[in-house]
Amino acid sequence: MYVSGGNDEHIIGRRIGGALRDDCRKTQSNAGIMSVFDILITYQSAFANGLLTTFQLALMIWLIGLTGGSLLGSIGARWKIFVGIPSRVISFTLSGVPILVFLFWLHYPLQQLLGVVIDPFITAALTLSIINVFAVADVIRGVLLDFPSQYIIAGKVCGMTSSQILVHIQLPIVLRQTVPVLLMIQVNMLQATLFASLISVNEIFRVAQQINSHIYKPVEVYTALGLLFLAICLPLNGLALWLKAKFTRDFSER
Amino acid sequence: MLQGIQLVKSARGQKIIDNVDVQLEPGQISVIIGPSGSGKTTLIKLLALLEKPDSGKIVIDDHQYQFPAERNELPPWPEITVVFQQLFLWPHLTLLQNIKLPLMLRSKWHRSVERRASVAPTSNASTTNVQPVEQRRLDDLIELFDMQSFVQRYPNEASLGQRQRAALVRALVLQPRYLLLDEITSSLDVEQISIILSYLKRLSKKGIGVLIVTHLLNFAREAADRVIFMDAGRIIESGGREVLDSPSQERVKKFLSVIESAS
Repeated sequence: MYVSGGNDEHIIGRRIGGALRDDCRKTQSNAGIMSVFDILITYQSAFANGLLTTFQLALMIWLIGLTGGSLLGSIGARWKIFVGIPSRVISFTLSGVPILVFLFWLHYPLQQLLGVVIDPFITAALTLSIINVFAVADVIRGVLLDFPSQYIIAGKVCGMTSSQILVHIQLPIVLRQTVPVLLMIQVNMLQATLFASLISVNEIFRVAQQINSHIYKPVEVYTALGLLFLAICLPLNGLALWLKAKFTRDFSER
Repeated sequence: MLQGIQLVKSARGQKIIDNVDVQLEPGQISVIIGPSGSGKTTLIKLLALLEKPDSGKIVIDDHQYQFPAERNELPPWPEITVVFQQLFLWPHLTLLQNIKLPLMLRSKWHRSVERRASVAPTSNASTTNVQPVEQRRLDDLIELFDMQSFVQRYPNEASLGQRQRAALVRALVLQPRYLLLDEITSSLDVEQISIILSYLKRLSKKGIGVLIVTHLLNFAREAADRVIFMDAGRIIESGGREVLDSPSQERVKKFLSVIESAS
C-alpha cells in the first residue's frame, strides 16, 4: 500500500520507476533524436505499467459506477421522495464541483479530519466511482421515469405478466436508450482517471510526466500519451456511436 | 357477461364517471358514442381493469371485482382485451413481432404448464414459437387485413391506418372473450372499415362480446346491437340501434345532428 504524502521517488522506484530507469538506460545515447514512436517503443514497459494502473482504476470505477448507478437509478425511480430526489440533489451538487477539487478534498482534508491514511489509488477509485454512480443513476432514473406507461398497458391487456413485460418490453427499450449514453460516460470516466496522477497514483499520465522529466521532450511525450488514449478511447467512442446508430432508432411515429 | 355496476371515478375533484351501469353480453356488439371528454375511454379502462373505479363493481363472467378493492385479484387479461386509439404498439418490434410476442409468450406458458403436469405436448409446439392453430389464425388475419406488404415494418415506418390494423390484429389473434375498441377506425379507409365491421360481426356470432367507442355513425348503425350515449361521465341514453335514428333525449339529438352535418 502506498502512503499518502509519502516519498514519491520511493513509490516510483517500487513500481514504475524501475521500468522507467531500465528503459532510460537503453536509449540515453540517442535521446536527442527521439520521435513519438521511439518514445512509445523505448518506454513501452513504463507505459505498460502506467496503462495497467489506469485500466485497474477504470475497471473499478466502471464496475462500481455501473452497478451502483443502475441500482440507485432504479430505486430512485421507484421511491422518488426518499431516494430519487436526494440522489438528484447530490448529483446536481457534484456536477458543480470540479473533479480535481473533489479528489483533492477527499485525499487531503477529509483524511486529515478523520485521521486516516488511505492509498491514493483507493481514494481516486472511490472519488471517481462516486461521480460515476451518480452520473449513471441520473441516466437510468431519467429513462425509467420517462418510460411510456402505454407500452406496459399494452402488455397487460395482451395477458403478459409483469416479468414478461419487464424482460420483453421495458428492458429492451431502456437498454437501447441507455447503453450508448452509459458507454460515453464510461469513456469520460476513463479520461478522468488522469486526475489520479495529481494525488500520486502512478497511472499513465504520471508515467508520461516522469518520462518527460527524464528526457524533457514534452511535445513528443504528451503526443505519445495522446496517441495511446486515442487508441483506447476512439474504439470505445466508435462502439457507442455504433450502438446508438443500431439500437437507438427514431421511435417517433408518422 | 361483462358488467359495470354503479361505477364512479373521479379525477382532480371532478367525477369523470358518475354512477354508470353498463353491461355487455357475450356475442353482442355495443357501441358507445358521445362528445370528447364524456368519459368513454375512462369507462373502457375501468371495464378492462386498467384503472380502478373509486366505487362500484365489475363482473367479468365468473370474476367479480368490488371497489374500493379489499385485495388485488389478477384481471383476466387477455380474455378481456383493449385496442386503444393511441394503439400502443411496442416501438422496438416490427408489426409482426408486436402481434406475435403475446402469442409466443402464451404458447411458452402453455408448454411449461404441460411440462409441469407431465402431459405430452398437445402439438409440435415445442419446436415452434407459436402453436400451429394460432399461427394459422394469425396468417388468416394478416391476409384478411391485407397486411403482408408492411407487416415487417417497425411502427414508426408504418402509416396510422397500417398501425391501427396491426393493433387490432394483435388483439384479435389472442381470441379474447370481450374485446373493447376505442376509436380504432379513425384512420382507416372505407374498405378497411367494412372488413373490420364484417370481422367483428363474425366474432360476435362466435360469442365474443365487442364494445366499440366510435364517432362514425354509419359504422355504429351497421355494427351495433346496442347503443350507449355518454355525456359528462353519465349514460344519457341507451337502447337498440333505433337510438341513433330516433333518440328520445335532446342532448343526443343535438349531438347526432352535429355529427350528421359534419359528415
